Amino acid sequence: MHRFIEKLARGMALLGGMVLTLLILLICVSVLGRSLNTLLHGWIGQMMPGFSKWLLDMGIGPVNGDFEIVEAGVAFAIFAFLPLCQLNSGHAVVDIFTSKLSPRVNRALRMLTEIVFAAVLVLIAVQLFGGMLAKLRFGENTFILQFPVWWGYAASFCAAVVAAIVGIYVAAVRIRECVSGKEILL
Amino acid sequence: MSDLAIGLLSFPALLFLIFARVPIGLAMFVTGLVGIVMVTGNLNIPLGRLKSETYSTFSSYSLSIVPMFLLMGYFATLGGMSTALFKAAEGFLGHRRGGVAMAAIGACAGFGAICGSSLATAATMGRVALPELRRYGYAGGFSTATLAAGGTLGILIPPSVVLVIYAILTEQNIAKLFLAAFIPGILAALGYVVAVSIYVRLYPESAGTRAAIPYRERFRLLFDVWPVLLVFGGVVGGIYAGWFTPTEGAAVGAAGTGLIALANGGLTVATLKDSFTTTAKSTAMIFFIILGAGFYNGFLALTNVPQELADFVLSRGFSPWAILALILVFYLVLGCVMDSLSMILLTIPIFFPVISVLDFGLVDLIAMQHDAARTALAGAADIAPEIRAEVEALIASGAEISRDLQKEIGIRVTQGMADRIALERTAIWFGILVLIVVEVGLITPPVGMNLFIINAMDRNTRMLETYKAVLFFVGSDILRVILLALFPAITLFLIPFG
Repeated sequence: MHRFIEKLARGMALLGGMVLTLLILLICVSVLGRSLNTLLHGWIGQMMPGFSKWLLDMGIGPVNGDFEIVEAGVAFAIFAFLPLCQLNSGHAVVDIFTSKLSPRVNRALRMLTEIVFAAVLVLIAVQLFGGMLAKLRFGENTFILQFPVWWGYAASFCAAVVAAIVGIYVAAVRIRECVSGKEILL
Repeated sequence: MSDLAIGLLSFPALLFLIFARVPIGLAMFVTGLVGIVMVTGNLNIPLGRLKSETYSTFSSYSLSIVPMFLLMGYFATLGGMSTALFKAAEGFLGHRRGGVAMAAIGACAGFGAICGSSLATAATMGRVALPELRRYGYAGGFSTATLAAGGTLGILIPPSVVLVIYAILTEQNIAKLFLAAFIPGILAALGYVVAVSIYVRLYPESAGTRAAIPYRERFRLLFDVWPVLLVFGGVVGGIYAGWFTPTEGAAVGAAGTGLIALANGGLTVATLKDSFTTTAKSTAMIFFIILGAGFYNGFLALTNVPQELADFVLSRGFSPWAILALILVFYLVLGCVMDSLSMILLTIPIFFPVISVLDFGLVDLIAMQHDAARTALAGAADIAPEIRAEVEALIASGAEISRDLQKEIGIRVTQGMADRIALERTAIWFGILVLIVVEVGLITPPVGMNLFIINAMDRNTRMLETYKAVLFFVGSDILRVILLALFPAITLFLIPFG
């Protein structure tokens, strides 16, 4: 079970990383296209009008509406990053005060925290699904590229479900730790 | 219970949760959720918000800069830029007393220019410089403290993740904030170098020595630093020159450092996977805090606490400087136990409305009028001599130029314009001050994250030794905060306003 969850969380993080990389490349292409476009309209266009026109006709320019893809993509990436952070206890905490308490109290505190955390992650996934349905119902499209907004929600929802599953798993592990009095997960 | 009381009571409740080791983002999220339900008496309101708020927070174009800067920092490490920076600085400074430590500071500053995160800077430069410091006989606590302090330059010197978030919270221009951080960042590096030189004079046994190397060799080492200059110039220069937006700059920077790492052989499938997972963890942590803070601040806005607090401060007529000092000290204290980003997200929505209504005298309306009038008089020849004489007399006596007279010479400088510029200046200056004090939190005992990161790399050094040595750097930080608070012009020097 643990190996499966670990693979799942890591796999999602890598997938998110790949999406992030693609977005970075997309932005670079857009920046490059825009700069070239400016140059072709500028001094290159004056020196080599035919060549410039040929390139411009090929559609050299910024990627229109790139930010809409970036927004949808980065939302997916961040949702995909959540499971690994959850599994590795990567969230920022202040542990200076609790470190003075006994291991038993600490285990109980962590159990409570992780149960609430799992509940919140489930809530987020469920409400995101609701949000997706709402966007689907209204048939809302993005401004420039005119792709349905619910696509972005759907991608993020898939990642949010994984985050919720990992959250429940971590909570279950903490409950077992609290009952058995042994540390299982770092 | 009134809404205001609920809002005020939420602070101790939230702090209690945070101190009970509840993750900070979760604590803010839950407090905000419960608070909204208490104020509105309706569970469906927060649930309805949740339908779109997670997605809209995570799909923010301006916040997408954060994972990109993080990835860029890891690629920079893989590309050997940290090593190149340290070797170059070490070549020039290493033979001086305390020189290797100074070189470590310099290398941290250089790395800060291509990395937006303090923890990443500390971790990266720690791996590179700590073995060298120990090899040249530098004392354990002194070495770890130097690197922990140097690591804070990662955020002080732009690009900076924390500054991006401050800019978004306060609706300020990211490029201007980056520019404003520049001089304070350089001052920070110089201050740390001074701290090193004082330390080695007080404790000469804590630093070893080595022979100087020939200049030919030094310049060869310096030449290896070119990728850093290229990336920094491209990203920060490009953002400032208006070639691209900050998000585009971050993407270009990440792609550029990635290419350099690929060319150097540092970027393989295995290290790429590592960069992805490390970026994933930091990004998820940051965005969950942002999400929680959004919820909590939405609740606070419902209770009107920030507005009431600002009105209270204004109506009591407290000295602006006393309020500023109080806020900065508050950050220093809270920074001992909490990380910088959480502090910013937690407190800026409360403190910024207060600061923004205070008058620090950053703009002089009359001086603005006189500047505009002088330009107008110099530029236009067709102004009637008697009007020209009248305006010149007003300038000479330092008096206000009336609206009608301004119209005669074709200028318009109103109180509203002065207020707008004053707000922008205050926001930028306050942002840099806050940035510095929250960064001090990374190196103040007992809970300085940088201290932990670096200390964990050196098994032979006790935490207490690091604590002792780092006080010199904390001292340098506090002096710098006082200097920058008293002279806002240092921070605002590079910023054009208009």
